[in-house]
Amino acid sequence: MIRQLIRFQNMDRRWIFLGMALAIVVPLLAPINFPFKIDERVEAIYEKIESLEAGDTVFISADFDPASRPELEPFYRANLHHFFAKDVKVVIGSLWPFAPPMVNPWLEEIAADHGKVDGEDFVFLGFKDGKELAIKLIADDVVKAFPKDLKERDTATLPIMEGKRQLQDFALMMSVSAGFPGTREYVLQVQGQYNLDMASATTAVSAPDYVPYYKSNQLFGLSGGMPGSAQYEKLVYDKYGNDSGLINARPIATQALNVLNMGHLFIVLLILMGNVAFFLTRNIEEA
Amino acid sequence: METVSLIDLFGIWVSIFLTLAIFSFLYDDNPIYKLAENLFLGISIGIGTIEIYYGVFKPNLIDHLADLRWQSFIPLGLLFLLMMKITKKYSYFARLPIAFIVAAFAGVKLTGEANANLMTPIAESMPDLQASWAQYGFWSWENDGAGVFSDLVLVLGLSACLLHFYFSAKPNRAMSGVSKVGITVLMLSFGASFGYTVMGRISLAIGRFQELLGLDKTEAQWMLEGSEEPLSTMTNVSIVRWMTVVTAVVIILIIARWKRQQNNEPTDQAG
Repeated sequence: MIRQLIRFQNMDRRWIFLGMALAIVVPLLAPINFPFKIDERVEAIYEKIESLEAGDTVFISADFDPASRPELEPFYRANLHHFFAKDVKVVIGSLWPFAPPMVNPWLEEIAADHGKVDGEDFVFLGFKDGKELAIKLIADDVVKAFPKDLKERDTATLPIMEGKRQLQDFALMMSVSAGFPGTREYVLQVQGQYNLDMASATTAVSAPDYVPYYKSNQLFGLSGGMPGSAQYEKLVYDKYGNDSGLINARPIATQALNVLNMGHLFIVLLILMGNVAFFLTRNIEEA
Repeated sequence: METVSLIDLFGIWVSIFLTLAIFSFLYDDNPIYKLAENLFLGISIGIGTIEIYYGVFKPNLIDHLADLRWQSFIPLGLLFLLMMKITKKYSYFARLPIAFIVAAFAGVKLTGEANANLMTPIAESMPDLQASWAQYGFWSWENDGAGVFSDLVLVLGLSACLLHFYFSAKPNRAMSGVSKVGITVLMLSFGASFGYTVMGRISLAIGRFQELLGLDKTEAQWMLEGSEEPLSTMTNVSIVRWMTVVTAVVIILIIARWKRQQNNEPTDQAG
């Protein structure tokens, strides 16, 4: 027994990688449904969007790239479904160069599902370089920051931009952010100055850093990582899933969340086993 | 039935191959991983350069110079001075644009940092205990432990952390006790951050496995562009899974062969 425990402590780390791969693949192929609770920070996003009127316009800053796609794509998709199901108009910009080619096709696909018209109900303004300075400019003058949209149309002449010049002209601002520049920079540069109604969907790594912004009401809602996306998906798809043209929407994050639970259980098991093996063999190794 | 082009299929295979190639590093460093790593770096630098040229240089400088807007010669001059850094004799000229950049960013960041990261959090870290008692009581299980108890833990924990970094105080038993509380709170905070980081990494792995297993697609049959017949009797999900299995087997065989060659090398040299 002791010998086996010592062997366990010195085992090849590749067995851990294999174990983790199995902990992910098996529940993906044979799904297990764990119940989960909706966090108040995610619910706050949902409730705020529910309170919007048809015809309101919102601004989304899509600041992520393929590296954070698994965590943020489900939120971005559910968020668009939510806005379009409520007939809210959506203006999207990005501070990340790799975002437009990735997120614009999703926007067009979801907008088509809801029968929305480009330029009237939604528009993708493209990428703006300049980080914090770009954020300042977007807040001051969206049209100046993005004189042309992604399809090279004059932004100022688009029907959706009528009466929309500054960020505070939008009903709310959603930052879907994977890091710098993103939520933190929007909060630092413009949220306080313009008193913006702003929420954030971010990666799990960034979420703890943004919780103080939620606690201090600088953000009205916060969705962190895959669990946040799954909770938001559940709220949106439970309400709009079957009767608002959302039948094609698949809860990607909800599926992944069950797998995530298995991954966490595997890590907890390893930590427990490692500690038990360490304490039981400590005296023997010292002797 | 979903229409798919040959280039789409190739793209799906490239995505599968590169994912498995990067995962192969978990076994050992190998040429397949190196190929994927170098491709990643090369493509990233290539796309980055193009993005910077078309997103920054062209609209902000080159187009303005072409329109003979004379004020654009100022950033051009600053750019030229910055490039002086590569010469030994005139490298000090680069200090001018660097000073300009540092000053501009300090100006932009200062007010935002002071307001959003200092004043507002300090104000909000002193909770209204009366309101908290009225809303949640001492402790509310339904609201993740919100209540007066949590508010007091927040205030005491924050104070202990700040006192831990108050180095001017003489070390005594009281300060040492407070410091230990501060360290505990910091460790709890680091632990939470680490937990979130682990969760983020597993989420990324799940995303890749979803793609490898075709779970990112809605199940349907594929029809090749220009054809009226289905590509196969299998669904798109099954095709992706077969592509993954075959690619994985090929990569494993290549790595096994490479390993065998590597193991034989010292023997050959010795012989």
